[in-house]
Amino acid sequence: MATNAISIKSDAGLSAALAGDSMSGFEELYRKHYRRVYSICLRMTGNVAEAEDLTQEVFIQLSRKIDSFRGEAAFTTWLHRLTVNQVLMHFRKRSVKSELTTDDGEMPDSIDPDTINPEAMPIIDRIALENAIAQLPPGYRTVFVLHDVEGYEHEEIAKILSCSSGTSKSQLHKARLKLRRLLKQRAEAA
Amino acid sequence: MVCNQCQEIISDYIDGSLELGEQVRVERHLADCEPCRAVRDDLLQIIHFSQKLPLQSPSGAVWARIQSSIEAERPAGLRFRFKVWIARLRDRHFDMSIPQLAAGALALAILVSVSLLALRRGDPPSADMADGQAGLSTNLLSSTDLQQMEQRINELKETVDQNKVAWTPELRVTFDRSLLYVDQSLIECRRELGNNPADPISQELMLNAYREKMRVLEEFARF
Ligand SMILES: [Zn+2]
Repeated sequence: MATNAISIKSDAGLSAALAGDSMSGFEELYRKHYRRVYSICLRMTGNVAEAEDLTQEVFIQLSRKIDSFRGEAAFTTWLHRLTVNQVLMHFRKRSVKSELTTDDGEMPDSIDPDTINPEAMPIIDRIALENAIAQLPPGYRTVFVLHDVEGYEHEEIAKILSCSSGTSKSQLHKARLKLRRLLKQRAEAA
Repeated sequence: MVCNQCQEIISDYIDGSLELGEQVRVERHLADCEPCRAVRDDLLQIIHFSQKLPLQSPSGAVWARIQSSIEAERPAGLRFRFKVWIARLRDRHFDMSIPQLAAGALALAILVSVSLLALRRGDPPSADMADGQAGLSTNLLSSTDLQQMEQRINELKETVDQNKVAWTPELRVTFDRSLLYVDQSLIECRRELGNNPADPISQELMLNAYREKMRVLEEFARF
């Protein structure tokens, strides 16, 4: 057989050569999922540097565990769950007080009818919303991001955070009201 | 129902998790209360836009950091890869068609680039990386060996230059391209060895680049 031992017919040959330690396959996986993973981290932490560190940590974890998850249908769900857990672990390490177990004394916003200004609507633009989410207290932010941004159900959130789904619901409600107030403040300041 | 009661459960109302009786009472209140309607509308907007937030991208440095962490964790994998590449270079068959000749040189160029890239990016390879199969020592590239090879290369080059005038254009292009690839590899190896003279992988790649150049010239000297 007078053939090259190295296949260079296509890029596939090169990637096959690289596949010795599956790095090229892993890069593909990264390209496919990194933005979602990063977005979850960014919105949960509200901080670019922390989100980048966490994204890095998630994919390193993934590389350690990847072999057991090859071909699994629920991979994306699992990866997002891994991401959320990574962020929560980070909160615990940083000992960020989560308001999930104890109420932090912040009263749910209620509406003073005199300050309502229907002309100020709509209160939302995307950047303002991102900023307001970043300003939420971490406990509120976690539940809000999981439920309203990432689409988790209260039962799932309760499991992830080891709380009751009633707690998850009330945190979400407070988070939404707080966001509303932050957005209104910004709209009025503008 | 008063406003406070309404706003207390407005999220549940929006999420559709109220019982029918309560839902009706909220709706009745909303029909008559503009401030509560405003809260509902704001929250609906917040929820709506939150579901549609675009994905964000981290800086490109994140992937580089991930990659080097993973490779640092798997030095064995990296070592194995170098061994495979080097073994492949060494075991290549020598009788090839014209396109295969060029392919061989291109393969070398790719391997040298990729290897040196990985080398710079990853852990500095340890000396045991290459010596398993080849019994290499750090004075892999003794100057007499290099001189001998360079002399042989020059002889072959003369022969080729004499024959070249009679070649077909296709053969000439193939030859020039092959030599270009090999010379690029030699330049890269030389640069790497300039930074890191004792590095066994770079030495091995350099040696292979020389062998490849000799091989290319030997093959083409026959035409
Ligand atoms: Zn009302």
